[in-house]
Amino acid sequence: MKLIKKIVLATCLVFLALQFFQPAHNKSGQVLSTDFETIYMVAPKVRSILQNACYDCHSNNTKYPWYSNIQPLAWMMAKHIKQGKEKLNFSDFGSNTTRKQISKLKEMANQIKDEEMPISSYKMMHKAADLSKEQQTVLSKWLDETADSLSRIN
Amino acid sequence: MKNTILGFSITVFSLLACNNNKAANTITAESTTTTPVAIKADTAIETTTQAFSTKEIIAGYLQLKNALTKDNGKDAAAAGNAVVATLAAVDTKSLSAEQLKSYNDITGDLKEHAEHIGSNAGKIAHQREHFVMMSKDVEDLIKAFGKGDLTLYKDFCPMANDGKGATWISEIKGIKNPYQGTQMLTCGSVKETLK
Repeated sequence: MKLIKKIVLATCLVFLALQFFQPAHNKSGQVLSTDFETIYMVAPKVRSILQNACYDCHSNNTKYPWYSNIQPLAWMMAKHIKQGKEKLNFSDFGSNTTRKQISKLKEMANQIKDEEMPISSYKMMHKAADLSKEQQTVLSKWLDETADSLSRIN
Repeated sequence: MKNTILGFSITVFSLLACNNNKAANTITAESTTTTPVAIKADTAIETTTQAFSTKEIIAGYLQLKNALTKDNGKDAAAAGNAVVATLAAVDTKSLSAEQLKSYNDITGDLKEHAEHIGSNAGKIAHQREHFVMMSKDVEDLIKAFGKGDLTLYKDFCPMANDGKGATWISEIKGIKNPYQGTQMLTCGSVKETLK
């Protein structure tokens, strides 16, 4: 009994201690000249999907939910955002060469069609990111068309 | 009892503090090592003086292509990783600044596709999506930098890429379709003999 009490108490202490360590937030008020919406004419319907379902992990501005201040959730989230931005960062999309932009646009369209993105754990907590079939079509079609128009120019 | 808890929480605190320090250290290390890395790359080039050639990159691509024709995602992934390794070892010293820019443009993209294919052994459909774009890169690479003494063909499959069609480069004249694999191996046509 005493041992159990000790373990519970220790766990609580660790949990409390963890709360003092918060990773830096992914928030930048600045809009870069390489921002996705600066370099492309993004249709309003597409923009709202991107904002609701993509930007939290793939841009320099995350909309943090209340539980993002609870550890170790905050760490998990910070890790997801870091990985997400490494693969694709809408806030700095223009820093990619045109060839890479085309590739990334096509890859995005494919990931949406294959329902690989947004990831399921994110959709669980963000209902707006659980895209309807219609939203998937709107988004992937726009991405494909933008990629194709870029390919034609180059 | 009190002492153990106190001791435990102190350990936790100090461990976390260590972690934080480590993170800070790696960040500063990253930002300061840019120059040494460049120097290291130079010396590596000196020791392995090879003439610039696209042949090995193409060979890796063909291996990947052949794995896809057999629906073998595991071999395709291995070949993808091999292409990444080959790209890292290519000697670009003899290229002019302009050539290097074009080379980096093509291979920067090529590398990402090879990496994706390399890390998706279990998802052959995903590998094939990347193979569409990778094939375009390889074609551009050949057009800009040649193909050594290889005889190559540009093939076309109208059904691949969601019905939009896709090309691939092959070393054989007969059709072996990497997009359809064993399901429809001989579907497609030779569009061009690359010279």
